[in-house]
Amino acid sequence: MTEARITETRADRFIRELRAMKIPDPAAGRAGLWLRTGVALMAAGPVLALLAYVLSHGTTDPLAQRDAIVLALFGIALAVTGSALFLRYSLTNFLRFWLARQSYDLDRLADRVTGEEIGV
Amino acid sequence: MRVQTVPENTVAATPSVARTPLLRLREVKAGYGAITVLHGVDLEVAAGQVLALLGPNGAGKTTTLRVVSATHPIAAGALELGGREVTGASARDLARAGVCLIPEGRGIFANLTVRENLWMMTFTGRSRAEIEAVAFDRFPVLGKRAGQIAGTLSGGEQQMLALARGLATDPAVLLLDELSMGLAPLVVAELYEVVADIARQGVAVLVVEQFAAAVLDIADRAAVLVRGRVVRSGPPAEIRDDLAALYLGSAT
Repeated sequence: MTEARITETRADRFIRELRAMKIPDPAAGRAGLWLRTGVALMAAGPVLALLAYVLSHGTTDPLAQRDAIVLALFGIALAVTGSALFLRYSLTNFLRFWLARQSYDLDRLADRVTGEEIGV
Repeated sequence: MRVQTVPENTVAATPSVARTPLLRLREVKAGYGAITVLHGVDLEVAAGQVLALLGPNGAGKTTTLRVVSATHPIAAGALELGGREVTGASARDLARAGVCLIPEGRGIFANLTVRENLWMMTFTGRSRAEIEAVAFDRFPVLGKRAGQIAGTLSGGEQQMLALARGLATDPAVLLLDELSMGLAPLVVAELYEVVADIARQGVAVLVVEQFAAAVLDIADRAAVLVRGRVVRSGPPAEIRDDLAALYLGSAT
């Protein structure tokens, strides 16, 4: 095996690495599902918190009120998790585009500052 | 067990690898919305080979490169790299494996220095010193201008910088889009000599060009793309003779 690696060219390594690469089936992409899950959790979180408020407000039993507090905290946790998922699967694409746009704008600005492209 | 590797830039393509196409497109169709640009393109490039993909404006040449680099989705057909179908792989994975696209317009950061542009390629895991050594060894003029703002370089030097950045990724498949754009013929010839030398190191090179003369001098094979179809492929000498007729659509 050592000898094989010694004579390994870039093309051989390329073939070996591609064979080892895990390529996801594009049809099985879960990005859309995670995005919708994030939105659902963001909506469910405040609903649970509101429900907890109603439960807590409608009773004088301290045990039931504590249950409501736990429910409200759970709702907040869900909303935070949902927000994270939403950011990961939606805004990252937008931010990537924004970064590319920034690079392009800076490039154009540099062209304007330095004059037209200098040919050799 | 310690594994040793030989530096790739000193190793020529072995005959076994040269027989295996590193890049193959099979009946690839792609487009933008309802508009189909590629109508079943078949191409293959072996290690150490330069394939010139020629064609008039709007033929689908750039789309072909984007499909190969996975920056544009394939509607039908298959992309194979190193004998494995990689249709659906992400551009990031292919870039990491060794597919390098140098786009039309060079894609350098005009507001950064030459050295900073090169440092951007440290994402590959190579150190700044290694990247600079590769770049300045290949293009000594860049070494002399290491601290200069890239936007103030001449067009030829900017293209050298783009190539140097590509080389810093240690590519196995190099995709070049309109290398000659806006450059003087002498500079283009010089750059294509470098490209030929890169191919001799065992890299599969696919060059897209609208202006064919310079690239046909160094290409091993050429293909002509017209309206999203490969209408002719073969040795550069044969393609050169029929190029005008192929562009104008009077020969097939």
